[in-house]
Amino acid sequence: MSYYLQLLLNGVIAGSVYALFAVGLTLVYGVFRFINFSHGELITWGAYLTLMFYTPPFSWPLYLSAIPAMILTAVIGFSQDFFIYRPLRRGNPITLLIASIGLSYMLRNAVRFIWGSDLRTFDFPPARGLEFGGYYVTGIQLLMLSAAVFFLAILYLGLTRTLWGKSLRATADNLELAAIMGISMPRVSASVWILASVFAAAGGILLALDTNLEPFMGATNLIKAFAAVLLGGAGNVWGALLGGLFIGIAENLGVAFFSPGYKDLVAFALIFLLLLFRPRGLFGLLTGVR
Amino acid sequence: MDYILHVLILALIYSIFAVSLNLELGYAGLYNFGHVAFFGIGAYISALLSRAGMPVEGAMLCAMAGAGIAGGLLAVPALRVTEDYFGIATLVFAEMFRLVCLNERWLTKGPMGLPGIPRPAWIARGVDGLPVYLILTAMAAAGVFLFVRRLTGSPFGRALKVIREDEHIAQAFGKNVFLLKIKTIVTGSALAGLAGTLWAHYISYISPADFSLTETILVVLCVVLGGRGTNWGPVLGAFAVIFFGEAVRFLPIPHELHRYVAPLQGVVYGGILVLIVLKMPNGMIAEHRRNGA
Repeated sequence: MSYYLQLLLNGVIAGSVYALFAVGLTLVYGVFRFINFSHGELITWGAYLTLMFYTPPFSWPLYLSAIPAMILTAVIGFSQDFFIYRPLRRGNPITLLIASIGLSYMLRNAVRFIWGSDLRTFDFPPARGLEFGGYYVTGIQLLMLSAAVFFLAILYLGLTRTLWGKSLRATADNLELAAIMGISMPRVSASVWILASVFAAAGGILLALDTNLEPFMGATNLIKAFAAVLLGGAGNVWGALLGGLFIGIAENLGVAFFSPGYKDLVAFALIFLLLLFRPRGLFGLLTGVR
Repeated sequence: MDYILHVLILALIYSIFAVSLNLELGYAGLYNFGHVAFFGIGAYISALLSRAGMPVEGAMLCAMAGAGIAGGLLAVPALRVTEDYFGIATLVFAEMFRLVCLNERWLTKGPMGLPGIPRPAWIARGVDGLPVYLILTAMAAAGVFLFVRRLTGSPFGRALKVIREDEHIAQAFGKNVFLLKIKTIVTGSALAGLAGTLWAHYISYISPADFSLTETILVVLCVVLGGRGTNWGPVLGAFAVIFFGEAVRFLPIPHELHRYVAPLQGVVYGGILVLIVLKMPNGMIAEHRRNGA
């Protein structure tokens, strides 16, 4: 029994990071109505840029390296929109999807070009897990959980308590109507991209601390984020949060029942089934509170 | 000389692959981002059968049939969703296929892949067989090209274009849209399976890594670069992409910089795809449309 509870705990921690990825993806979908395939590359770039500031020649402490990394990732996210997606916005969502697939391939290979294809790590000394009543949690996992909760709490307060959040939610609800009401579209679009990039980068950094860095980390986790987005109903921020948690838990509990090689299949199968049978999301009832 | 034959064979196989995707993507407007799965299914079926002792010709036919059936089985549920969601559903299908190949070691030997896939008995092994294999591939490519040209020039092809532009109009004219789409995907998948089997028997070694998202991006690039919804576009695109990939090898690059070549090539491929979508959405050969519509 405690074995399953331990898996559940691991699942919640992994899921909180997936939630960070999913929030940005679903916001972009909610406002711009297209699936941003290169969202995964923001995850990768966030992690690699942190590694860059953390290692020589910079050798900054971790918390200091994360800040410029997130800012630079936001710059990448914003320029994606400015140079590529904005000129294409009037077209078909497929055109945007093809462009984002091309862009993601480009950015991923740029990572390989700069930092090489090998596995990299932050080289933390292996630490003993902390024990809480028979369950083990590493210090990094605690950091993951608390950082995710911190970011998501800020998002919650921002979206519900500020005028900025209101304008964002209004735009996600109905772009034309929001524009008619005088909400500044360039400002909304900039904040969506910055939010999506910073959250993706934060998640990427946390994931890299727990596991390692490799050029494909973004693509793998994009699939999970996408499954979370679909679970929650595309465009629904709170749905994506729950979806992320669900994927994390399902994946980690799944390990108890079938070969770990199929861990990633959980997210794939979920996407496939959801698209076919519940395209509006499992939590479609929640659309009223997005 | 042998090297030129090798590049030509690769380009012809990719032409078949691109033409088959163009049937779905260019003519019917079905954005199949998991087309590489059918290339892979064809390759694996004929590799497994021929390694088990079946004559290569029979294995190739089984591979085409298998890929076509798999296409139909995917299409029936996947066509419930449209446009970008269809793209994602097919993309996810391709990744699931790759994961299964990676994990079912008893069948596919997992990441080690399947070595020693034989060529047809009448084609010599190694370099000596290249000219004959080139003729085989060229005949297959010409056959596929003529077949698809005939198909798209027929009422069937015109119906597909109507579906691409507006499904409801096609319905209003009494076309069974669902059935037409299924037929398109089955045909496209079988042809992709043909490309896959030609590739497997030529390279003689396959592994799950050969059927990743990278190959999907390459073949989409071939079609979009060459020109969607045209007969020659995907062929031209495939030759351009393969020749560019091979030409990079001849750049005078010092040995210690070699690790930069493949990533740089990826950056260029991705960049070209983005640039075409932005600046040249019709590709190198634009589709002929009356009334400038």
